[in-house]
Amino acid sequence: MCASGKGVPTLSAAKSSRLGSSQKALDFDDSAEAAAKSNGHGANGHAHPEKANGSAARSGGEAAVGDHDEPPADDADRPATKRRATAESMATKQRDISVSEFFAKNRHLLGFDNPRKALLTTVKEAVDNSLDACEEAGIVPEIWVTIEATGNNRFKVSVQDNGPGIVKKQIPLIFGKLLYGSKFHRLRMSRGQQGIGISAAGMYGMLTTGKPVRIISKLSPKKPAHYFELQIDTKRNMPEIINGKGEGEDIAAGEKGHQQMQKQGIDWVSHYPAAEGKEPQEVKSGTRVTIELEGRFIGGRGSVGEYLEETAIANPHVTLHYKDAEGNEVSYQRSTRDLPPEPKEIKPHPYGVELGRLVTMLKDTTAGTTSAFLTESFSRVSSSVAKKICDAAKITTRSNPRRIGRQEADALYQAIQNTRISPPATDCLVPIGEQLILKGLHQVVPGEFYCAATRPPAVYRGNPFLIEVGLAYGGVSSAQKVSLEALTELLGETDARTLRQFLMNTFDGIGSEAADKIMTEAQMGTRQSPAKLKKEEIGQLHAAMRNVNLSEGQSMQVLRYANRVPLQFQPAACAITQAVIANNWRSYGLSQSRGNLPQGPVTIMVHMASVWVPFTSESKEAIAGYPEIQKELRLGLQAVGRKLGMFLNRKIKVRQEGERRSIFLRYLGEVAEAVGVIEEYDEKKKTALYEKLLHVAKRKTVEADTRLDDRGKKIEAAEEDFGENVLIVEQPDTPHP
Amino acid sequence: MAKKTKSKEAAKAAVLTDKDKKTLKSLRELASEVASFAERSRAPHLDVPSRSLSNVKFNQSQKIIEMGSGTNRRELFNLSQAKAYMQTLLVGSGAKRLIEQGKTTSLRGLYYMLKHTIEGTKEETFDEQSETDGMIEDVEVLLNSMREELHLYAKNAGSMVGNITLVDSGDEIDCTRMGSGGYTIPSIVEPEVVQFKNCKAKFILHVEKDTVWRRFNEDKFWVKHNCILTHGGGQPPRGVRRLLNRLHHEEGLPIYCVLDNDPWGYYIYSVLKQGSINLAYESKRMAIPAVRYLGLRSSDYERCELTPSVQIKLNDQDIKRAKQIAAYPWFEKKKPWQKEIDLMLANGFKLEVESLISKDISYVTEEYVPQRLEEGDFLD
Repeated sequence: MCASGKGVPTLSAAKSSRLGSSQKALDFDDSAEAAAKSNGHGANGHAHPEKANGSAARSGGEAAVGDHDEPPADDADRPATKRRATAESMATKQRDISVSEFFAKNRHLLGFDNPRKALLTTVKEAVDNSLDACEEAGIVPEIWVTIEATGNNRFKVSVQDNGPGIVKKQIPLIFGKLLYGSKFHRLRMSRGQQGIGISAAGMYGMLTTGKPVRIISKLSPKKPAHYFELQIDTKRNMPEIINGKGEGEDIAAGEKGHQQMQKQGIDWVSHYPAAEGKEPQEVKSGTRVTIELEGRFIGGRGSVGEYLEETAIANPHVTLHYKDAEGNEVSYQRSTRDLPPEPKEIKPHPYGVELGRLVTMLKDTTAGTTSAFLTESFSRVSSSVAKKICDAAKITTRSNPRRIGRQEADALYQAIQNTRISPPATDCLVPIGEQLILKGLHQVVPGEFYCAATRPPAVYRGNPFLIEVGLAYGGVSSAQKVSLEALTELLGETDARTLRQFLMNTFDGIGSEAADKIMTEAQMGTRQSPAKLKKEEIGQLHAAMRNVNLSEGQSMQVLRYANRVPLQFQPAACAITQAVIANNWRSYGLSQSRGNLPQGPVTIMVHMASVWVPFTSESKEAIAGYPEIQKELRLGLQAVGRKLGMFLNRKIKVRQEGERRSIFLRYLGEVAEAVGVIEEYDEKKKTALYEKLLHVAKRKTVEADTRLDDRGKKIEAAEEDFGENVLIVEQPDTPHP
Repeated sequence: MAKKTKSKEAAKAAVLTDKDKKTLKSLRELASEVASFAERSRAPHLDVPSRSLSNVKFNQSQKIIEMGSGTNRRELFNLSQAKAYMQTLLVGSGAKRLIEQGKTTSLRGLYYMLKHTIEGTKEETFDEQSETDGMIEDVEVLLNSMREELHLYAKNAGSMVGNITLVDSGDEIDCTRMGSGGYTIPSIVEPEVVQFKNCKAKFILHVEKDTVWRRFNEDKFWVKHNCILTHGGGQPPRGVRRLLNRLHHEEGLPIYCVLDNDPWGYYIYSVLKQGSINLAYESKRMAIPAVRYLGLRSSDYERCELTPSVQIKLNDQDIKRAKQIAAYPWFEKKKPWQKEIDLMLANGFKLEVESLISKDISYVTEEYVPQRLEEGDFLD
């Protein structure tokens, strides 16, 4: 009884999951067929319709497990009804699952869980790829991002770069095949890692709108550009070229090509924007990918705009042009033309290799001896180290690595862990650099104080990594910059239920405290629905947002980066956020309640550069907290915290000096008068004494003077005080609290 | 007498006494220091001798409290001291004007003389009289001049009757014929103002306050016992202490105190005997190490068979204060005093002199004090 009771819910769960997945599979087949028809590749498209349906039903991992649970363990409990399936009948349905199929169903793993995020992920993958390509080719990147609404919740996302372009043969594979790329198999610092991103975006677009991915790539100004329209055959995980009879099209170079592109409706930015009166320069090479997808365009936190802004901070050598779905155009100009040095590719460090990987490596190696295998496949393994490892594993150095069995491999693995091996070379990491962090932050985040710290490289699990921290203090929050029109729009499109939630979700740096302040100022109830606000009420809210001093209720804004890519989601799960919260900011002059981000107009950016960034999931949203990483984060945060503390201290001191001077001035007259009475001075002598005392007072409070007298000019940063890499911007009209 | 007349005339002629000249000289030094600081572009400061317990020491041989050499620096360009610095100089300038014009004024008078709104602000130079009072004491120690040398006096407090004739500002006063109010002891009793002429009394009985003094005066205690009867209205002001000191030293009169049996009474005795902590610099002129404590004693509750209704419960502050007094170096080594204070703490209550009235209206004058005097039963 007990077993059958247990069996029933499992069964129904299996059924429902099967139902759900077959539904999806049907949808998918439709689109695949549609694609096939338009393509004219009938043979490829309808392989075996019935079989496809069946297999789709089985393809979900859960469903298969459910099936196995189905037969009750005990024969006595077997129900009297006829057996539903036999092992043989089930075997006919068991088959391969294609990567593409798997990800088509598990799109959330890649960051396509909702329409809004899908839009962002698409832009993000394309931009990351572009930046990687440009940097690898040694081109100072310039990126054009365009989002166009095509109606019906559909958006056309185009990302163009001025990179080296892609050779014709590779284009379909890169954009039309999942898990195809150059980055997975090497240990090298790059934005992308797995080679799923852009093809997954294309697949998502195809699934939601049925439109192919369009790619145009140009290698040089004189050669023709290649134009492809691609679809992914999800079952085979292979690209299908739709245009040019499956071969793609070539577009002639020069003016003729531009005309051709216009005729065909292919977008291409042919010239760099030029200053007034200057001849615009031609974009010599580059790639433009256009994906049409179902999405949702919302500004604020977690938006495309935010991603691009944060990208600009961490990549000061990049110029970004962004045209959003509402036609607003923003450009982030680069603040340096120096490309970051090319990151070196490294061999894996023995400590970072797991047993399974070791076994594969042993099988695949071309080395003749185990010693050679160890020295050639890993970094930091000299022949003497290799000998030590072999001795510890009781394997001769001259044994053939391909013949090493499971047992021996395990011994080898243990031996590696127990042998002292020097940490991996860290010159493979390319930090942004303190100077450039300052420039990047200053370019994008308004503030009065900036500082940065780059930590020396460290190692986690055999992977070298490096932490950089930048901090900006002061300036106004995004909530105070927003225009009335933008606010109206934001209110219209938000899905927050209450106004308070809307404020906290949409604007950076508004915590619950600040939101409450704004609500009180605007005289509105916190639970009011944002969508139902009247025009006057929006005006009221807008005024309140401007008037409320947010710098107190504002909580610290944390910008997280991994290999220069902004991380926008899952802040709470990320080691960076955790480290920021765990740090004691009170000792640096910020207020902070336990377990929360500190308060104040502070933006902090944390960058982790590594050959392999340990993400908590495939959607690359949060960094896992290895102890070594946590330690480096802490040290980096403390380094900038100390400088902030010094700055805030000095600010307080300057203010106090100002007060002090006014107090002294107040009493100087009385003192001079009293001395005058005792000494029987005449007026002239009394004034002379007063002047002299005044002189002393001014000298005593000279620090306050520089600020008061030279208003609007930069305070000379006391270099020796703060150490290097600090930027202080005088704020001419900062109201003193 | 002659001098006082002279200084009155000097109001117009501004003729200065030697003492005035000395005071003016030190005032000038104070002021010129400020000017010299300014001249050298230095931040002016004053080193004010510290008037706190940490800066007093008990002189074992002379049995008086003396001020140590510790000073507190008061700087003009220090946020918390700037105002005090200014106030110190203002008091100096006020004293200068008084001396120059040959006039004296009360402490409250000086307060009004110096109080004004600082130009361009809403701030007053002094907000309360206590501020000027403190500054005056600072100026006294700074200049090493007494209050009267700054031409300042406090309000009169304390009365005296007894078999003595003295001259006050040229007027001869027979202290046996002072009616019920007695001779009011002035704030300044320096030899220039008060001279003793004919003293027949054999000792001085000092009581704590006016009400008790009236009892003794009405009963003509001073006639029966041929003594001088004084009171200081609680904590005796400087005039009273100085007068007692002079009578003791110049006329050789022993002094006995009748004070309340509470920490406050003990402290009055301590001030009379060794000098006060706050005015340690005046101890030489004021302290009378030979003064004796006659009553009330903690043991009097039983000895005089008082009823529980006269007990006043010791509060926390009293207990704290009593322990503090017991720890003073000048009480520390006196076993009878330690016993006395311990007993009071053990009793848990204090006794006022007036409580003896519960026995009989004149019990204190006719039995209590005469008995103690006869037995020689007092604390040293």
